[in-house]
Amino acid sequence: MDIKLLEVVNLKVGVNQDNKEIPIVNGISFHLNKGETLGIVGESGCGKSMTSLALMGLLPPGVDWQSGDIILEDMHFKNFKNKDWRSVRGKKISMIFQEPMSSLNPVYTVADQIMEIVLNHENVSKRQARVRALEMLKLVGIPRPEQVLDEYPHQLSGGMRQRIMIAIALACNPEILIADEPTTALDVTIQAQILELMKEIQEKLHMSIVLITHDLGVVAEMCDRVMVMYAGEIVEKAKVVDLFDSPKHPYTQGLLESLPDINKQMEYLSSIPGIVPAPGNMPIGCKFSPRCPFVHDRCSVNPPLFDTPEGTKVKCWLYEEASVKKEAVL
Amino acid sequence: MFAYIVRRMLHMLLVVFVISLIIFFSIRLTGDPVSVMFSTGEASKEAIEAVRANLGLDKPLPVQYAIFIKGLLTFDFGESFRSGMPVTTLIMERAWATLSLALGGIVVAILIAFPVGILSAVKRGSGVDFFGRIFSLVGISFPNFWLGIMLILVFAVYLQWLPASGFDSFQHLILPSITLGMILSGILARLVRSSMLEVLNQQYISTAKSKGISEWSVIMKHGFRNALLPTVTFLGLQFGSLLGGTVIVEQVFSWPGIGTLIIDAINQRDYPVIQGGVIFLAIIMVVVNLLVDLSYTLIDPRIKTGKEA
Repeated sequence: MDIKLLEVVNLKVGVNQDNKEIPIVNGISFHLNKGETLGIVGESGCGKSMTSLALMGLLPPGVDWQSGDIILEDMHFKNFKNKDWRSVRGKKISMIFQEPMSSLNPVYTVADQIMEIVLNHENVSKRQARVRALEMLKLVGIPRPEQVLDEYPHQLSGGMRQRIMIAIALACNPEILIADEPTTALDVTIQAQILELMKEIQEKLHMSIVLITHDLGVVAEMCDRVMVMYAGEIVEKAKVVDLFDSPKHPYTQGLLESLPDINKQMEYLSSIPGIVPAPGNMPIGCKFSPRCPFVHDRCSVNPPLFDTPEGTKVKCWLYEEASVKKEAVL
Repeated sequence: MFAYIVRRMLHMLLVVFVISLIIFFSIRLTGDPVSVMFSTGEASKEAIEAVRANLGLDKPLPVQYAIFIKGLLTFDFGESFRSGMPVTTLIMERAWATLSLALGGIVVAILIAFPVGILSAVKRGSGVDFFGRIFSLVGISFPNFWLGIMLILVFAVYLQWLPASGFDSFQHLILPSITLGMILSGILARLVRSSMLEVLNQQYISTAKSKGISEWSVIMKHGFRNALLPTVTFLGLQFGSLLGGTVIVEQVFSWPGIGTLIIDAINQRDYPVIQGGVIFLAIIMVVVNLLVDLSYTLIDPRIKTGKEA
C-alpha cells in the first residue's frame, strides 16, 4: 500500500517587500508516497519551481520560507539549519535541472563531479568513490563508461549530460528525486529516452520522483498522481487517469483543451485568455476568476479544496455541492 | 602542444622584430644625441664629427640598423652613449629590481583583491559588498605617488618599521609593492567581483549546492575556479604594463628599475640604452603573454591549443 514518505504542510514561500509578505507559493499542502511519481504542472510563474527549491532548501536570495513545514521521516525542515540541509541535499533528496548543457561544471571531469557527492556523504575512499562513479555511469546507460569518466562535460551531448546529471543525483541513493523540467531542453527522441531511463531506475531503486513540468504529455507518460498549480496555489489534485479523463477545475480543463487532438481537425489551438497574475498583484477571491469562463458571484471569495465524488480534490466553488453531498452520504 | 609553442615563438620573433624597427627609427626622430652632449656650443665642428663617428652615428641609417640587429641576435645592445657601460649590464643590474617590484605589486594585489572581490560577490548587496566596492573605487582613484609618499610617512618616518627607499633587502620591497598593489587591487577586485557574480548565477552552482557540499566548496571549488580565466588574462596584461609603467613609484622610492633607466636615457637621447631597454621589456611581455595563454589550458579544459581542439 501507499506509504507516506514526504509531507508538505501549508507551505508558504515568498518575498518580503516593504514589510509586506508577498507569497509566491501560498500555503500549499501535499504528500509524496514511497515509490510514486508525483507531477506538478502549471504555467511559468505558478510557483512549481519555487516549491521544488523549497524542498531542497535552495530558495534564491530574497525569497523566504514564510510559514509551514516539510516533513521527511522524523525531520521537520522548518527548523533546519544550514548543516541539516546539507545532510539532506544529495543524500535524501536530489535534484536535476532543466538545462543539462549548463548544469555540469565545465572545468571538472565527469568522475570528479560524481565522486564529489559520494565523498561528501559517505565515508569511502577516493578509489571506492570512483568505482561508484563507474557503476552510476553504467546504470544511466552511458556508452564506453570507462572513457567518459575522464572526459569533460563539453565533450558530451545534451542527452549524455542529462544522464550524467541523473548519475550524480542518484549516486548516494536518495529517496526522492526532484526533476525540474528534466527534458524540456532536449530534443524529442532524447526526451523519451531520458524519461524511460528515469522510470527504469525508479523501479530498480524504489525511489519517489517529483516531476515538475508544463508538458502534459510527460505527465501522462510518467506520473501516478498530479497536482495542478496556479498562481502559487494547488487548484487540483488527482490520479493521473482521473485528471485526463475528467478534469474538474476550469484551469485544468483549459490546459487540456489547449493540447492538439490528433482526431480533430483544428485551425487554431484553443488557449486560456489572459495571463498568470504577478505575485503581489493577485485578484481578490479565486485567483483564476479573471480568466475563468464560469466565473460567478461566489468567486469573490477564495474557495477551499473540495473533495469530488471521484476522490480528487479541486479548488473551485463549482464543486461545493458535490462535496457536500458526499459528506451527507458519509 | 609542442607545435603550438614553436608557432608562438616564431610569432614572438616577428613581434620583437617589428618593435625593433619602430623603436630604432622613432628615437632617431627625436633629435641628435651629440647636440645634447655639446649643448654649451663650445666644441669645434671637427670634435663633434669625431664623437659622431666614434658612436657610429655617421653611418647611413640602414647600416646603423643592421649593426643594431646584429647585436640584438647576441643580446649585445652596444654601450651607453653617456656612461660607456655595456647596455646589457645596465639592464641586467636593473632587471631584478623591476621584476621583483612587478611581482610584488601583483602578489599584493592578489592578496587584497581576491578576498575582497569574492566576499563582495558572495555577500552581494550587503555591508561587506558596499565596503568592497568603496575600496575598489578608492583604489582606482588614488594617485599612486601620493599613496607612496603617505606610506613612507607612516611606516618609514613615524613608525620607522620599514626603509623609505633603496633596493637592498626584502624589507625595501614591501612599501613600493603595496603602493603598486593597492592601485592594481582596486581594478582587480572589481573584476573578480563581476566574474564571480556571473559564475555564481550559473546552473552548475545550483547543481553543486544540491550535492550538499559546504558553501565554501561551492564558492571556491565551483565558483572561483571558473571565475579565474578573465582574472588571469587581466593579470598577465597588467604584469606587462607594470614592467615599464612604474616610473612614478620608482621615483618615489628611489627604486633602480628599468622604467627609470629608459626615461633617463630618453632625456639624454642615449639611443643604445633606449633600444636595449625597450627590446628587453618587449621580450618579457611576449613571454608573459605566452605563459598566460598556456595557463588557460590548465584552468579551462575547454580551451585546447592548436590542432588538438
